Amino acid sequence: MRVGELINPPPGTTLLAWRNLAHERARLAVTLVGIVFAVVLMGAQLGLLVGFARTASTLVDHADADLWITPEGTSNVDIAGRLPLARMYEARSVPGVARVDPYMVQFAFWKKPDGGTESVIVVGFDLATQRGAPWALTDGTPADLQRDDGVIVDHLYWDKLGITRLGQLVEINNLRVRVVGATSGIRTFTQSPHVFTTHARAQRLTLFPGYQTTYLLVKLAPGADRDAVRRALAARLPHVEVWTREGFARQTQRYWLITTGAGSALLLAAALGLLVGIVVVGQTLYASTVDRLAEYATLVALGAPTRYLNRVIVKQAAISAALGFVPGLAVTAAMAWLSRYGNTPMLLPGWLALLLAALTLGMCLLGSLVSIRRVTRIDPTMVFA
Amino acid sequence: MSATVLTLEDVRVTYGEGAAAVHALNGISLDVRRGEVTMLMGPSGSGKTTLLQVMGCLLRPSAGRVRLFGESLEGAALAALTELRRRHVGFVFQHYNLFPTLKAWENVAIALDLRGAPRETLRPRALALLERLGLADRAEHYPAELSGGQKQRVAIARALAGQPVLLLADEPTAALDGATGQAVAASLKALAHELDCAVVVVSHDPRVLPYGDRVLELEDGRLKSDRRHGGNAHA
Ligand SMILES: Nc1ncnc2c1ncn2[C@@H]1O[C@H](COP(=O)(O)OP(=O)(O)OP(=O)(O)O)[C@@H](O)[C@H]1O
Ligand SMILES: [Mg+2]
Repeated sequence: MRVGELINPPPGTTLLAWRNLAHERARLAVTLVGIVFAVVLMGAQLGLLVGFARTASTLVDHADADLWITPEGTSNVDIAGRLPLARMYEARSVPGVARVDPYMVQFAFWKKPDGGTESVIVVGFDLATQRGAPWALTDGTPADLQRDDGVIVDHLYWDKLGITRLGQLVEINNLRVRVVGATSGIRTFTQSPHVFTTHARAQRLTLFPGYQTTYLLVKLAPGADRDAVRRALAARLPHVEVWTREGFARQTQRYWLITTGAGSALLLAAALGLLVGIVVVGQTLYASTVDRLAEYATLVALGAPTRYLNRVIVKQAAISAALGFVPGLAVTAAMAWLSRYGNTPMLLPGWLALLLAALTLGMCLLGSLVSIRRVTRIDPTMVFA
Repeated sequence: MSATVLTLEDVRVTYGEGAAAVHALNGISLDVRRGEVTMLMGPSGSGKTTLLQVMGCLLRPSAGRVRLFGESLEGAALAALTELRRRHVGFVFQHYNLFPTLKAWENVAIALDLRGAPRETLRPRALALLERLGLADRAEHYPAELSGGQKQRVAIARALAGQPVLLLADEPTAALDGATGQAVAASLKALAHELDCAVVVVSHDPRVLPYGDRVLELEDGRLKSDRRHGGNAHA
């Protein structure tokens, strides 16, 4: 179809649909407002869901491990149990394993310079290999952590933690630390900010003995079969669970989205948006169809099969969907863009935009069902009345 | 030369049931031929519109038989009747029933489109039909911008789009003044002869009577008279 035909199609069901819409500007405006509202509501809720999920699993996603070895019974990355470091040496001897590094994740208390207390998550990574190091550094380097008391905190949480400048001294679990670096955009789902430091210092700050850690990060040798190595590690090491990176990320997301109720609340709100869209489109389209019943009856008298009428209605719904989706998506994208430095991330990846398009179309088609039902039982003899 | 298009055998139509039943047609038998204009007269409520609907495969009779080209329509499904209308029947209504959002030529082109005419032929064919009815210069106008007579001629052009063998018009001149009504009736008659199709026109209007080759008179759902002029409009 040529571009001109989009606006001025040849006589047929598309033209009828288009003109029906164009000749009822007020009704079209109501329809489009309803669709935009529904798209934005669905987009915002689903975007928040994606944002929350990504935030919840951000440590797992960025640690660059093929496999995660966790203490038995671990349900998410933030609440960790204890693993003997001896497991690290056992794991290194399993065929297919190239590297194993320790990784600490542990809640701790942060005393602000002005005296208040906040809860934080201390994240300790192996300084030599940098596996699990903070990404998106804007101030300082991981090497700055070499000094005795260095930690790195994301700018998002400086206010919350009372940090005003690099080099500031604070306390974690009553031990003195110094802020030597900052990252940008590393959010926490738990509301407890991540405080990055070396593995050894993390052990000390969280009162772990030197022979214990929380996780072991496994890198595979080139060509190794990940699932086979995973099973071998699970068989070899006692009282641990071995996850793929994606598996542990998904488990962490599921845990936080379900236990906090955030997942179902967001999905419910998105479903509400869908429902509002269906009702608004259904209402306005039905009103239009009833107004034009005589025209539909004329078409039937002229020999138009029911599917010809249905096509006019479905195309009205589809055109409305397209006209409403574009501004709706633009508003949603703007909201996502504005949220990028906020505490609540809203993400709009390409697949979500496609999903929104499909939901919008489905919403409009569902809305058109009542109208289709109405014209299906139209009586063409009414044109003689 | 006057081949039979449609045959009705003892057709009856009853609306409603029991005490409320209305017998709109009480045993009508007749046939309709190509190239002939039939005028259908009769008092209000005599069953003219009902008869036209039966002829046009819009209404299934309660009893009796309708044959199109000799084939009985008994038991035909609604979808099958719709297809017969699309292929063989053209309708013209008292109130024109043009699509108000479409220009004159687009109104005609829709009738071509629903018969599956190729896209690129829609405009030239619609314009040719309008020209035949003397409306070439009104093709780009919307129905609201046309006079009653012009609207009715657009409707006739639309009815002709499917090259029907049966053109049915219910009081096509009732909303028009005398002279315009006569012009429309004259168009219908000329087309019947030119296109060799059967035309049935319901009318109250004695002034258009002379344009019929044949006059049927209905009363209480029965045929009261059936006169032919033998092709002479001024008998
Ligand atoms: N859908 C219907 N339901 C019930 N009764 C109907 C229906 N249509 C027509 N009738 C009745 O059938 C009879 C014939 O009606 P019809 O419309 O065929 O008459 P007509 O000759 O066209 O009248 P007019 O000149 O007023 O248009 C009338 O008594 C009418 O009331
Ligand atoms: Mg009538």
